[in-house]
Amino acid sequence: MKSLLLIFLALPLPVHAQKILGSMECTFTGTDFVYDCRVTLARGGKPLEGVRISVGADMPSMPMAHNIKPVVAKPGKAPGEYEARLDLDMIGEWAIKLRLSGPVRDQLVLLYQFDERGASPLRDERGARPAARK
Amino acid sequence: MDDYAIGVLTNIGLFSFVALSAYLLLVAGELSFGQQAFFGVGAYAAGIGTAMLGWPLPLAALAAMGAGALAALLVALPTLRLRGLYFAMATLAAAEMFRILFEMFRWQREVDGEPVGPDGAQGFRGIRWVFEAGVEPIGFLALVWLLLAVVLAAFLLVERSRLGAALRATGEDPQLAGTLGLDVVRLKLGVAAAAGALAALGGALFAHHNTYIEPRNFDIMLGVHSLAYALIGGLGTALGPLLGVALDLGVLEASRVFQGYRMIVFGGLVALLLVFRPRGILDERLVHRITRSR
Amino acid sequence: MIDFLQSTLDGLTLGSTYALLGIGFTLIFGVLRKANLSYGPAIMVGCYGAAWVSMRFGAGLLVLFACVVAIAVVASVYVERLSFAPHRKGSAVAAMVASFALWMQLEEIASLAMPQHIYAFPPLLGAAPLAVGPLTIRVESLVMIAVAVAVCLGLRWLLYRTRFGIAVRAIVDHDTAAELAGIDVGRTFLLVFALAAAIGGIAGFLIVSTQEQVTPMLGMWSTLKGMLAMMLGGLGSLPGAVIGGLALGLIEAHSQWYFGPQVRDFLAYLLLFVLLALRPPWMTTRSAS
Repeated sequence: MKSLLLIFLALPLPVHAQKILGSMECTFTGTDFVYDCRVTLARGGKPLEGVRISVGADMPSMPMAHNIKPVVAKPGKAPGEYEARLDLDMIGEWAIKLRLSGPVRDQLVLLYQFDERGASPLRDERGARPAARK
Repeated sequence: MDDYAIGVLTNIGLFSFVALSAYLLLVAGELSFGQQAFFGVGAYAAGIGTAMLGWPLPLAALAAMGAGALAALLVALPTLRLRGLYFAMATLAAAEMFRILFEMFRWQREVDGEPVGPDGAQGFRGIRWVFEAGVEPIGFLALVWLLLAVVLAAFLLVERSRLGAALRATGEDPQLAGTLGLDVVRLKLGVAAAAGALAALGGALFAHHNTYIEPRNFDIMLGVHSLAYALIGGLGTALGPLLGVALDLGVLEASRVFQGYRMIVFGGLVALLLVFRPRGILDERLVHRITRSR
Repeated sequence: MIDFLQSTLDGLTLGSTYALLGIGFTLIFGVLRKANLSYGPAIMVGCYGAAWVSMRFGAGLLVLFACVVAIAVVASVYVERLSFAPHRKGSAVAAMVASFALWMQLEEIASLAMPQHIYAFPPLLGAAPLAVGPLTIRVESLVMIAVAVAVCLGLRWLLYRTRFGIAVRAIVDHDTAAELAGIDVGRTFLLVFALAAAIGGIAGFLIVSTQEQVTPMLGMWSTLKGMLAMMLGGLGSLPGAVIGGLALGLIEAHSQWYFGPQVRDFLAYLLLFVLLALRPPWMTTRSAS
């Protein structure tokens, strides 16, 4: 226990970089709860390329127990775009978890409402940044 | 191991903390519907520690455990005399109050030009210590299970000690335990605080695994599930709750054989299991038989 | 003053559904001394079933009402057989956790059969609200209050004037003695479950036809509100459940008006917690009648 604490205390201080912003657009495929999604990543206003994204989804209640198997997104047509097909358990609200690896390591959580057409962002469309306060 | 396996194992580990917390109270004879509150307190406290105050995770986790124990004592003190369903309802009411307080809790500060902190029902984003410290998913998994192993070892030691016997005696019959000279009040408060700290440690790890928490994460479903896991796994040993969590999250959820029907299978299995083993798979009798034959 | 009166009226309306939910929950708890967490989910399954019948066949309200009650009763009987009958002489914790497991089952069955989650339900009356001076009264509110009163009277007759009622009261007094006197305790428990589900079904029907929609939240909501009404009125007393339900409705309506929904829920739980911690004398009643 003690040695573990020491290891973690001794880790180098984090280097702060500009935050990565993510967004997502989805269309319903017609098969129950399967969606084709396009994820867009940007950092400092520029598209972020060459990242490996593992896309998962959790339900807001009990995220540890209700989640879908994450899929790895393929690079899309435009720079900074990635494509993934999500197979959800039901329509409704999902917290989409983007786990980034490769040149950057990070995790973005996006909240979306899925329905019979596609997905619309809830509360916060800019990913890692909290919604502006009124 | 692929991402999914790591994710599932991490979730099993995280959930086990809450299940063990519910188990500890069950062994001491109390049925709590509210351990999710202390999981939530731990998640918020640790998130504030690392993301807002710039503390390292171990310090934040310790603070979270302190906050969880304190919150649990706050609930335990006025409910000391309650038993059975009365106690269960009081803990449920308390946990729902905590959840509503999380919804009203807004406190943010600028970190690197971005507002960070709890934002009421909008949740608390950017608890990114794990990424900033460069901990890989597999490293985090190891951390979760190492801490769980420490907790389990402590449980197994206590269960073999006089303290463990005192706990079970209090659980069986608090009045009798009192006449035997046990300080029931101190035992109960100690158990509540330890269970609160345990759930809070799980919450602290959960917040850092998820990077994002919101009040709904800590609703009654989490509490009732942890109670169910503890009871299915068995009340005979601290390995019971782990078995319960692993059965649902590991076997049913991860196998995906019953995709879409998982809850129907799980619900039916649990109800049937409890008919034959009302105190779980690893109940006291089975554990006693195994330990004696050794 | 007008606001206060209006909130009181709204509170009584809300309270009469809580009272019905509370009576159903109390009936089970008062007789078995065990909490049935699947109480609300059984009602929810009934409402989803009726919503399906309404969509498929465009059936009238009376048919839908019968559907809600019938399906809720069937679901409840299933819950009783699998999670209460085996634990009749055993642990209350095991029975409660088993009923929770079946809740998960019922919820998944409902969401598989009805994947859209939120379904429209035909309105109860669709009549314009009555204006009494500065106050507005929904006709549905009057119906709800009238039904709650009728159910209470009917239940009173059932418990004090029928053989079934005698059996129930005998079991509440002393279950072993009742069994020795030749009362079929298992069968009576099953009937109590069916009766509680029927009363819960009436409440569920009134709720969804007034809200004009069915949502998956109905299950958890009904269990929680039924439990709260029972707790506020003193565990296991039927008149207490009615008073508890009405009190809960009034507290919610007033605190909603003055402080908003978050504080409303907070106050309801705080009141419950304080009452439990202080244990005033009426909270320790143990009779079911």
